Amino acid sequence: MISTVGVRRAPLLLLPALLAVSSAQTPRLDHFERKIRPVIVEQCEACHSSAVDEPMGGLRLDSRDALRQGGQSGPAVVPGQPEHSLLLKALTYKDANLKMPPAGKLPEKVIADFRQWIADGAVDPRTTPPAEAASSETKEDGPGTPIEEGRKWWAFQPLRRRPALPASNPDWTERKIDGFILAKLDENNLQPSPPADPRTLIRRAFFDLTGLPPTCAQVEAFAADPSPDAYAGLIDALLDSPRYGERWGRHWLDVARWAEDHPTSESTNRPHPYAWRYRDWVIEAFNRDIPYDRFIRMQFAADLLPGFEPADMRALGYIGNSPMYHKDPRLSRDVIETLASDDWDERVDAVSRGLMGLTVACARCHDHKFDPITNNDYYALAGVFASTWLVKRPIVAMDPAEADKLVWDHERLYRIKGMVGNLKELDTIAPELHPRVGAMTEEVEKLETELAKDATPLTHAVVDCGVWIDGSTPTVTWIDLRPGQPRDLPIFIRGNVANTGDIVPRRFLTVLSKGAPEPFRQGSGRLELADKIVNDAAPLTARVWVNRVWGWHFGQHLVRTPSDFGTQGQRPTHPVLLDDLAARFVQNGWSLKWLHREIMLSAAYRQASRQIETAAKADPDNRWLWRYAPRRLDIESWRDAVLQVSGELNLDMGGPSEPVDTECEARRTVYSEISRGRPHAIFQLYDYPDATQHTPQRQITTTPLQQLFVLNSAWFNYQSNSLAQRVRHIKSAREKVRALYQYTLLRNPTTRELGQAITFLQSREADLGYPPWPEYTQALLSTNEFIYLR
Amino acid sequence: MQANPSYNRESRLSMNKLRENGNALITRRAFVESLCGGFGAIGLAGMLGADTAAAAPIGPHFAPKARHVIFLFLTGGPSHIDMFDPKPALHQYAGQRPDSVDLRTERMTGGLLPSPFAFHRHGQSGAEISELLPKLAAVADDLCIIRSMYTFNPTHTPARNLIHSGNIASTHPTLGAWISYGLGTENRNLPGFVALSPSPRYSKLWRSGFLPSEHQGTHFNHSQTDPEKMIRYLRNAKLGPDAQRRQLDLLTALNRRHREAAGPDAFLDARIQAMETAYRMQFEALDVFDVRKEPAAVRQEYGSTPFANGCLLARRLVERGVRYVHLYYGPGQPWDDHKEINENLRKRCPDMDQGAAALITDLKRRGLFDETLIIWGGEFGRTPVSEAGDGRDHNPYGFTMWMAGGGVRGGVTHGATDEFGFQAVEDRVSIHDLHATILNQLGFDHERLTYRYSGRDFRLTDVHGRVLKELLS
Repeated sequence: MISTVGVRRAPLLLLPALLAVSSAQTPRLDHFERKIRPVIVEQCEACHSSAVDEPMGGLRLDSRDALRQGGQSGPAVVPGQPEHSLLLKALTYKDANLKMPPAGKLPEKVIADFRQWIADGAVDPRTTPPAEAASSETKEDGPGTPIEEGRKWWAFQPLRRRPALPASNPDWTERKIDGFILAKLDENNLQPSPPADPRTLIRRAFFDLTGLPPTCAQVEAFAADPSPDAYAGLIDALLDSPRYGERWGRHWLDVARWAEDHPTSESTNRPHPYAWRYRDWVIEAFNRDIPYDRFIRMQFAADLLPGFEPADMRALGYIGNSPMYHKDPRLSRDVIETLASDDWDERVDAVSRGLMGLTVACARCHDHKFDPITNNDYYALAGVFASTWLVKRPIVAMDPAEADKLVWDHERLYRIKGMVGNLKELDTIAPELHPRVGAMTEEVEKLETELAKDATPLTHAVVDCGVWIDGSTPTVTWIDLRPGQPRDLPIFIRGNVANTGDIVPRRFLTVLSKGAPEPFRQGSGRLELADKIVNDAAPLTARVWVNRVWGWHFGQHLVRTPSDFGTQGQRPTHPVLLDDLAARFVQNGWSLKWLHREIMLSAAYRQASRQIETAAKADPDNRWLWRYAPRRLDIESWRDAVLQVSGELNLDMGGPSEPVDTECEARRTVYSEISRGRPHAIFQLYDYPDATQHTPQRQITTTPLQQLFVLNSAWFNYQSNSLAQRVRHIKSAREKVRALYQYTLLRNPTTRELGQAITFLQSREADLGYPPWPEYTQALLSTNEFIYLR
Repeated sequence: MQANPSYNRESRLSMNKLRENGNALITRRAFVESLCGGFGAIGLAGMLGADTAAAAPIGPHFAPKARHVIFLFLTGGPSHIDMFDPKPALHQYAGQRPDSVDLRTERMTGGLLPSPFAFHRHGQSGAEISELLPKLAAVADDLCIIRSMYTFNPTHTPARNLIHSGNIASTHPTLGAWISYGLGTENRNLPGFVALSPSPRYSKLWRSGFLPSEHQGTHFNHSQTDPEKMIRYLRNAKLGPDAQRRQLDLLTALNRRHREAAGPDAFLDARIQAMETAYRMQFEALDVFDVRKEPAAVRQEYGSTPFANGCLLARRLVERGVRYVHLYYGPGQPWDDHKEINENLRKRCPDMDQGAAALITDLKRRGLFDETLIIWGGEFGRTPVSEAGDGRDHNPYGFTMWMAGGGVRGGVTHGATDEFGFQAVEDRVSIHDLHATILNQLGFDHERLTYRYSGRDFRLTDVHGRVLKELLS
């Protein structure tokens, strides 16, 4: 609640305060800092501070002067006289009309601390209330952390390689990472886990890098390979597999909140038929290990980069497939502009949280309450998106003029067709519209006929084009597109489009700019924005990405709020490690495959996952990485694994999406249809993220409804049947069971497991007259062992 | 847990009709015995015991007054000023903006906006309720209206998190999860914590947070009435209950063996448990979730809208031992009336009024009212000052909620807001107080229902909360 805010801010204030005081006062000051200040911050400041517009009773407790001056009832504290200090009276709850804090009396010990503090002279170093310190004269507010102070924030500091730490256990460490991990384990009196056995390790590496399990033969070969390079060789081979891009590209699609339609699908925001082309580009980009900085730049402005190939146009789907809201032209200008500004807001949010771990969207209505981001910063970024428009663009080489015509013909058809339906109804009551609606209807027909003849392959992309909302006619609101003309947005005061303030030139965030931010000058500014993200903001961008990659490898992040590196987020558990790894990532050409090797070759990654009771007690969250965190497979890995094991998996790559849960659909899950409005049931069941906005990370739940899918769905039954078919040619029941164990669990059954299988089959045979193998294979596919990554 | 035989309502279960006459039970026992082979008695007891409980719940600290909770949640923040908290001064100062209402809320607001609705006194208690809610007015003497609620955040998500979990972050366990953790489920065929919502969009609101994941709410879409539409994959096309039981016994034997080898893991336990619940739910759900099985008169009493069906379904669920039902009114945030409060409330109140009142009447008729605590409200209230001329903004400073049944005094109007209905001023009640009171009715000392996580004991009420003893019968 509010109190947490105060607590988090306290450390920022602590340091200057301590420096300002002479040493003679130190014990008393110490008493204040340790016993008094935290209580005031936590218990009182929500209602009694300069940060509150109207402090209750006129009383502020966040500076010495305010405290002594007091509120409507008089001074809160009389130094040296606890019995005359209203503050103490309130705390003791003796006066029926003065009981504070209202939520309940504080413990006697805390009250005694206050009594002593007042008796000792109420030493209080707080000469300036924090809110005053934080706000400038001219602005009403100012961000919660002023810009200059904000520049010192840990996440914005330049990256630097750190010296390797001398390992307390040199036998354990494999890579530089391990020294940092070990140091934290030592600090917390924890031991790392022993290495995972090779069978576990190869399965882990396969799922991690390709999203698929190994075959039993691969497991056995790896387990039998005595070479010290076997594991490194395995990682290399997996990184070279096309399956790798399908797995890691999918991770990126989460960040990019990619989907093929909009949160709602009305006439003005119909689905995107070519959205899959962006998905395919992402997969290819991962397989080719395009440096991350270039990967980002291409997604904003592939068409403007040197070396542009027509197929790169697909990269623009990052913004080109953004969620869009229906804009019924009958609504008022303000309503439509609000909807448009919601669209821009979504993009600001996806870009800032997704790429930079910053909650810039919090600064839409006012300066950010906590982070060094101003209201102006927000509109400076939003302007870039108000100057780009979602269109379809060709992915083959074309004459520029022809391409331009094609793009705008398609754009007009999409937009006008969307409006016509709504306007036809209006037509009857607004006769003055009649000719215009008639012309639009004709134009739609004409464009449809013409474009039907054109077979140019298209992709959803963006162009530089300012967007204005035209409310000049009384009954219809038009979208006024001005290709090539960017739009600097005015501040919408408190987010209200009808109440505009100063116009803000498009530019990058102040706190991350080197010097004063320069306005963007090229078109919409999307290329300049991308350049800033990977240059000026490189330390932050690299940290955020390395942290995400770490999280996908380990199931948990170093910064556990992967999309919030601001003051409200968590600090890294291993700050030095994160810095060093991010620094080396950049030095190694932003190569993701380098990063995978560095992480996966570490001893930390190769640890066993088994719970150790003492460690679990000391560190239940495994913050210090005393083991590899076991977890449920995500929906893609699990579904793909079922398909591979059942022998059904179709490894065709790319192309239009297909439904995910029909029986015959056997392509990898990454090729499934992804809808924002109507996600497939299996995705809803298994924690697929809501693609209407950026989601920091997937949740993992375990519900009875998921198990109903396993027990009863036609899809799962079909796979169980297919798996049973795979062993149909084997005569002996025991051999069948052995083969099935090898397929599904990548090992041989134990004697008991063999016995269980036979018992089950015999008991069912007694009922049916034959052994129902699919019932058995379904059970095997349903085991925890199968869905569990360790 | 103190064993309380009356807690076990197994005897009523339709499951038993579907399977397991005496002979089948023996056969299953023999079957499981052979599956467990070398495990001996412990393995066998464990397997058959999987039927009763995986993790033993904490159990109540003292004799509970209530055994179930139904939370009728009006997402978006319903307007207390137009329903339960009449403010004649609004008429006197209409359009003006005295200093005392110059409070910051989420958006820009204007002058005072009087309620367009007439209020009258109802029941022996004389509770003041607006004309929007005639049916709830008729059960006024059963309501314990708290006019002095307050919360800490004027924005939906944080405020919703607070009322669901006692914390504004989206990470802490929710009320239903705490209750499931504390009490387990009374009916092994159904989850202990059910979330009824037409959309899975707010699924974070039924999270278990850092509590074991088996305590997270199970979501059903109550805008459907056919259980097979409401719950996908409910029926197995091929296997009957006995055959599937065999298959599940095999699976459980394999999973338990794996669990022993893998070491303790909350996920593995939760999935074994979830598999059992899923199996039983198939049979139970076809019956329980089908509100169409209710007599026509009962359905008429509730009404036919999704919310009405949700109320009726909630009754059917608690009747069968679900501990906690959180019913969301509509998808999205329907009660977020930033504009046109008059038209919107007139449209939306009737079915809410009818469903909620029918729930009270029906529970009473069935003798379940005293053991079922109903909570009504949203994440905050609305401002007495206008937004956009005819709407109201979010108001965290003061709002109304009501409780009914579950050992709470009826016919009570507790606390007060200021003369305009903006801030709670008299007998203020925090969300933590409400949570403490709900837990108290279920037999828990909210300070002792804790879970150790990340090095310390957490509780729903954090370091706050006061049981509202004055409101208890």
